[in-house]
Amino acid sequence: MATVLLSGCGKQSILSFKSPQTHQITLLWWWMLAAASIVFLGAVVMLTVAWFRRGTRGLPFLGERETLTEGLVVLFGMGIPVVALVALFGVANLYVIKNSEAPDPRTTALTVVVTGRQWWWEVSYPGTRAVTANEIHIPVRTRVDVIALTADVIHSFWVPQLARKIDMVPGRRNRILLYASRPGIYRGQCAEFCGLQHANMALEVVAEPASAFRSWLSRMAAPAASTASASTGKSLFMSLQCASCHQIRGTAAQATVGPDLTHLMSRRTLAGNTIPNTPADLAAWIHNPQAIKPGALMPDLGLSSTQVSELVSYLETLR
Amino acid sequence: MSSSGEHPPRPSGRAGVIPRSSEATTAGAVALVARRRVAQPNGWWGMALFVASEATLFGTLIATYFYLDFNAPRWPPAGIKAPSVVLPLIATAVLVSTTVPMFLSVRAARAGYAGLAARFVGAALLVQCIYLAGQILLFRHDLNDFRPDQSAYASIYFTTLAAHHAHVLLGILLNGWVAARIGIGGLTTYRLTAVRCVALYWYVVNALAVLVVLTQLSPSL
Amino acid sequence: MATLITPSAERHVELLEQVWAERQGVLGWLTTTDHKRIGILYFFTSLAFFAAGGVEALLIRTQLVGPNGHVLSPAAFDEMFTMHGITMIFLFVIPMTTGAFGNYLIPLMIGARDMAFPRMNAVSYWIFLGSGIFMYIGLVTGHAPNSGWFDYVPLASKQFDPGNNIDFYGYGLIFNGISSTAAAINFIVTIFKLRAPGMSLNRMPLFCYAFLAVSFSLVFALPALSMACVFLELDRQLGFHFYDVSNGGDPLLWQNLFWIFGHPEVYIIILPAFGIATSIIPTFVRRKMVAFPLVALAEIMVAFLGFGVWVHHMFAVGLATITTIYFAAASLIIVIPSAIQLFAWIATILTGTPIFKTPLLFIIGFILFFMIGGLSGVTVAAIPFDQQVEDSYYIVAHFHFVIFGAAVFPILGGMYYWFPKVTGRMYHEGVGKVSFYLTFTGTLVTFFPMHILGILGMPRRVYTYPAHMGWTFLNLLESIGSYVLASGLILIVVNLAVSLFRGPLAGNDPFEGDTLEWSTTSPPPPYNYPLIPTVSSPYAMWDKEDRELDNRRLARGEGLLARGHETPASTVQDAEWDEILHMPPHSAWPPVVGLTLTGMFLMLLLHHYEIAAGFLVAGGLALLAWHNKEYAG
Repeated sequence: MATVLLSGCGKQSILSFKSPQTHQITLLWWWMLAAASIVFLGAVVMLTVAWFRRGTRGLPFLGERETLTEGLVVLFGMGIPVVALVALFGVANLYVIKNSEAPDPRTTALTVVVTGRQWWWEVSYPGTRAVTANEIHIPVRTRVDVIALTADVIHSFWVPQLARKIDMVPGRRNRILLYASRPGIYRGQCAEFCGLQHANMALEVVAEPASAFRSWLSRMAAPAASTASASTGKSLFMSLQCASCHQIRGTAAQATVGPDLTHLMSRRTLAGNTIPNTPADLAAWIHNPQAIKPGALMPDLGLSSTQVSELVSYLETLR
Repeated sequence: MSSSGEHPPRPSGRAGVIPRSSEATTAGAVALVARRRVAQPNGWWGMALFVASEATLFGTLIATYFYLDFNAPRWPPAGIKAPSVVLPLIATAVLVSTTVPMFLSVRAARAGYAGLAARFVGAALLVQCIYLAGQILLFRHDLNDFRPDQSAYASIYFTTLAAHHAHVLLGILLNGWVAARIGIGGLTTYRLTAVRCVALYWYVVNALAVLVVLTQLSPSL
Repeated sequence: MATLITPSAERHVELLEQVWAERQGVLGWLTTTDHKRIGILYFFTSLAFFAAGGVEALLIRTQLVGPNGHVLSPAAFDEMFTMHGITMIFLFVIPMTTGAFGNYLIPLMIGARDMAFPRMNAVSYWIFLGSGIFMYIGLVTGHAPNSGWFDYVPLASKQFDPGNNIDFYGYGLIFNGISSTAAAINFIVTIFKLRAPGMSLNRMPLFCYAFLAVSFSLVFALPALSMACVFLELDRQLGFHFYDVSNGGDPLLWQNLFWIFGHPEVYIIILPAFGIATSIIPTFVRRKMVAFPLVALAEIMVAFLGFGVWVHHMFAVGLATITTIYFAAASLIIVIPSAIQLFAWIATILTGTPIFKTPLLFIIGFILFFMIGGLSGVTVAAIPFDQQVEDSYYIVAHFHFVIFGAAVFPILGGMYYWFPKVTGRMYHEGVGKVSFYLTFTGTLVTFFPMHILGILGMPRRVYTYPAHMGWTFLNLLESIGSYVLASGLILIVVNLAVSLFRGPLAGNDPFEGDTLEWSTTSPPPPYNYPLIPTVSSPYAMWDKEDRELDNRRLARGEGLLARGHETPASTVQDAEWDEILHMPPHSAWPPVVGLTLTGMFLMLLLHHYEIAAGFLVAGGLALLAWHNKEYAG
């Protein structure tokens, strides 16, 4: 229990809830844990008594009374459980569930479309041109409708501090409510086995004040600022295979196989929240993605270190 | 009449000798065992459970059909005609009619008439072969119109049909074996149970045939 | 008290010994139809698969001992956790409980001399062996199934898993299912028809009720899995569209079909364990089971209700709330029969005079772990909570407590309990107790922290985890626990293996057991009982008058049934003696059929469809030859 309490402030822990929905679920958990502990302790006590009384037949204090024993079995095995289970059902599946159902779109102020892909998250904001990857920004204390889609296999969108999980199933348009009570950065992870790099398919949800969110969003919607610097890197990007998978809006690179890189430098992490977004990490990733995420769909292009540093210089301009 | 049985150790409410069923190798002895036995023979129970399992298989196929149907905006999908009703229903009726000779063969075998039992099975076998031949022709005709690798509808349609035909084929092989064993070798308790089991198999396969055809024809009904 | 073989009884027994003399050597074991030999074959084969599944688990735990482990590559890890699940469920637990325990004990407990269909019993074993080898060929050739034991599509489709890894799974499970279906049918007919005359249904031991329930479950659950796998292979090999969305299919069709099988499957896993527990408890607490009829009814209700809850594995998939609410309600209802059984067992232990020998210790462990697993199961019937912890380590904890804690512990206890009966020697009690404490502690330390890890947000099926998540210490603890657990299990095997050669002779009834198998010799003779026993209650061994009556009958040579391999068949409900059946002494056809089926599935996997058809025809011909020899009926 100490471990639980000490690491309760964990990064992906349901105990460090940051929304009314997850608050209720975790409260439910504590009550269920308490009840379960009492039941379990009760059984342990009974078995301990059995050990101490192993030479005596019959019930403690009540003696050998078969009908009474059978009646107690029915009481503990049916009577009490029925009451407890009906109560649990009512609270959990009739009351708490209302908060974790898909929200009525009329009650939400923003819609985000998240598409799970092996092994990263495509994020877009309908009604705008904003497209990014692996990092979702939302205004704090705002009801957000998340539309969970997939481009390939079944994934599951799970940000435990903010919401229950929702699977991303081909052919289905699932929706959940995302609401952050406080500003912060919340980690999420894919929760349905989706192949080789399922373990490294994480994301971040950044909840920020509405004004900060709006400026972020308009930045995401804008095409890449054209610069004269790093032109070697840019032409490398276009001539090597990079442009055949990655889009940089405002340039000739328009493919959508891999993540949109238009504002790559706005993100805190790379490769599905696997490595931090620093020049060194970016260089290592481009140089040999298979060493960091074996099986990732980005191939090892056999680039020289000069080519890599040119590319990194260019990508560093994509703010 | 053999008295190769045992006397039960305690009064059992049934006077007389407990039969050693495998020692009954003449038609008369077999008929006697059949009269004396109270419970269904083991083989019959085995077949009953086997066909319960197969019926569950078809239940899964039919459930899948309607699951995909309810999911689909259009069923059958565009480009595929709704199935014709008359011919499949007639064919199914033909198959279901073989329930009668199978039932009669069991009655004959229980009464000890080996040759008659074998002939009834043979008659059913003949009709079932004609049915299957016709169904294979229809199957190939359907394949010309639409293919299972084109849509979920075609996938479930052809798979359900193929499963049904496979069961008919198995039944035909069973009928052939039973008719030969009884017709040539005569009756034993084992073969009496065998003909009862194969008849039970056919009752269930025929009933499932009705369910299958109604399912497959549901878009047109 | 055991049946006495007095001098006057001896010459009657000699006749039986001659009639039932078994073939020796390898040929004898290959062609056996004796349920005890088949049970022993199942035992060692499923034990070998248990070891394989255990090694897979240890590799997983070693990979996860710390963050960024390099013991297993991601591809190897995926194969390991998939094979671990498949092996433990399909190649260990089910064959061990039904094939080993069920086969060996059911005829003995009902006073019969063999199963209803001895040759089908044999072929069930050979098919099981064939299917296990078939699937492991995949592992050995580096193409093991790799998308989890429940193998969701589209990940398992040809597009995303193009090699033949998944085909080992799809074909393998269809193959394996034939074995279990045949075994289930055999158990039902045996329990219905072969009970000793006088053993009416209400005088049948609870162990048999559990196996009856399990067998009906298997018969009705397996077809859903088989069809799901047929559809999967049709999609993969012939381009059908059952599961792909672009042509009208639905990935959720797989999930529904799989879990319609998968949920009853978990009750299939646990029901035999209930049966073992209800055999061990009365013996070691020296009193009859409290509320026997309630417990029997509860065992059957669990099997039946288990068919109505499958969608609770799909609460996070995005279904309509009303659907999830219905299935959550059904899942809560099924708690009741389990709770009744739990309190009946506890009440029996409390009101009896327990002797805490090794078998009973394992049952105590079972009760505690079943409670933990059952309680965590109740928490996930709360839909919103399930939608947080589904697919996290919390669920891994839940099912390991109910599968390992609650299904395997009775198996281990049962191994100790019936070891003297099967081998004639007694195991070492002191070492037995140590093996229990090691196994119990290992289980607790391995699996309990997983609840916490799930709450802390660790998803399942991940080959590694970052260092900064706060998951490291608990993972280390679990890995240490797994080694402790492994050492406990190894100690059990060592104890039994050494005792096999050096243990003291056990005699017929070392524990004063309650059921019929304790009345015959240890090990039982090939014919089980010299005469078909007299039965008046489910606790046949504790009915002294009946056992004395049998001694007198044997001395008079009554009820021997020695004109060949004979056993009585009786009516289903009241067990009135109906006929005398003649059983096969041995047959070569079951292993032949097993071989042809293995060949057929291998050829299907390799896309040699004509050769596969050839094997099918060969199998059919073998079946014809098989039925040429007419037995039982």
